[in-house]
Amino acid sequence: MLAVSPLTNSNVEKQGDMESFQLGLDEFSDVFSGENFLEGIDFEDLYVGIDDGDVLPDLEMDPEMLAEFSISGGEESSEVNKRREEEDRHSGSGLVSSTSNRSEEIVSIKSDESVAANPSPMKDEKRRRKSSSTTQSKGSQGKRKLKVDWTPELHRRFVQAVEQLGVDKAVPSRILELMGIDCLTRHNIASHLQKYRSHRKHLLVREAEAASWSQRRQNHGGVGGGGGGSKRDISPWPAPPTMGFPPQTPLQTFRPLHVWGHPSVNQSLLHMWPKHLVHSPPPPWATPPPPPPPWQPLHHRVTAPNALTPASLCFPQPLATTRLSTSAVRGIPPQAMYKVDQGIGVSNGQSDSLPPFDFHPSKESVDAAIGDVLLRPWLPLPLGLKPPSVESVMVELQHQGISKIPPTCSA
Amino acid sequence: MGDSSSASYIRMVQHLIEKCIIFHMTQEECIEAISKHANIEPVITATVWKELEKENKEFFEEYARSRGDRMSEEETKQKILKIISDSSAATNSHN
Repeated sequence: MLAVSPLTNSNVEKQGDMESFQLGLDEFSDVFSGENFLEGIDFEDLYVGIDDGDVLPDLEMDPEMLAEFSISGGEESSEVNKRREEEDRHSGSGLVSSTSNRSEEIVSIKSDESVAANPSPMKDEKRRRKSSSTTQSKGSQGKRKLKVDWTPELHRRFVQAVEQLGVDKAVPSRILELMGIDCLTRHNIASHLQKYRSHRKHLLVREAEAASWSQRRQNHGGVGGGGGGSKRDISPWPAPPTMGFPPQTPLQTFRPLHVWGHPSVNQSLLHMWPKHLVHSPPPPWATPPPPPPPWQPLHHRVTAPNALTPASLCFPQPLATTRLSTSAVRGIPPQAMYKVDQGIGVSNGQSDSLPPFDFHPSKESVDAAIGDVLLRPWLPLPLGLKPPSVESVMVELQHQGISKIPPTCSA
Repeated sequence: MGDSSSASYIRMVQHLIEKCIIFHMTQEECIEAISKHANIEPVITATVWKELEKENKEFFEEYARSRGDRMSEEETKQKILKIISDSSAATNSHN
């Protein structure tokens, strides 16, 4: 009582009153529920500061929380509305007299610990609408568009639904059905889908280019111009020795491509979606890092003819990589890089080496790249595409009339 | 023994194809370049390409799509260049 009496005059200095009132609240919270105490309180002021925001706190909650909230909101808003009516009647006068009427409401409101109620009579209409929308928030989304918080979990479900339908055929209404979350509107899904699609395409195109000039980027310390370079996080790869960095680069950024928005290692990867960062699901064409890369078994078979074990491949390399500052990534034969650099860089003369969209790549550069593969077949695959099974390739070739490869008779 | 050499051969072809993809080449271009520079039978390259496509469907879909976009830009550019060169040739022939 003592602390709150100055507040009863309030309507003029609401802000200041609220602050002091809140202090009073803190101090006297244990006494608060007493009816005596309530008489002196102008509850209108309690909510004044909160009144101003256009976004109610509940709007940013997760859908699950929203569900809980709306239940309590339901109880509360009816009480608030009741109070509103009373305030209409009593407006302008000292609200002291009405407080006793409101005391039961207030007690229950307090127990709900919700701050969505907005008693100010001036903003009455707006608040009534808002509080009623609170109760409906879980359901039909009548008039307002709730701001959807795309949590990683929510996003993961979204992507699952999209993939189930097929990225191109994924229609928002179907996605919504598959996700089965009431709190999302078709509009939310549609805009999220649009962003997702453009992001995927963007990443994919960039990574295809980045694969070959990732070597150059590594040279620049991985800070990398453009592409996935700046967003890459090299280290988390367990990096089996056979895996050089070129696949590392696209793979790392391809991971987000597949299920984007999942929480995982690389917080920095998708600067566009800072919240929904990366995820760990496998890129479409390469398995995720923890399992060994798909071609590793293949590589074992390769070692026999090449007489170069992956181990021996790797060890000399790190020593030599200092020169080319690719120590972040292992298994890159520097000589090969140099050569490729020259092959690609010389013909294009750009710092980023690969021509932006050279519809007709220069013969020399293609020749150099191919020659490099022939000379050094043990090199890691630049894109790291998921290799087909040997059997299925052989079967297919047999259908074409080729019984063994390499063909023994010359073409 | 035959098996591992086949496997390594296939891997090599895959490697070659990947290198060509980095150059945004079409399947035909890849096959031709690989046949010319690496002496790989076109049918082998084609088969490996097809199998790769099966295993990496989404990648190839996106690849084709982005190539499609690029191609149309490039084609437009080519057309413009052709128009320019045609018109300059026409101008020259007047003189």
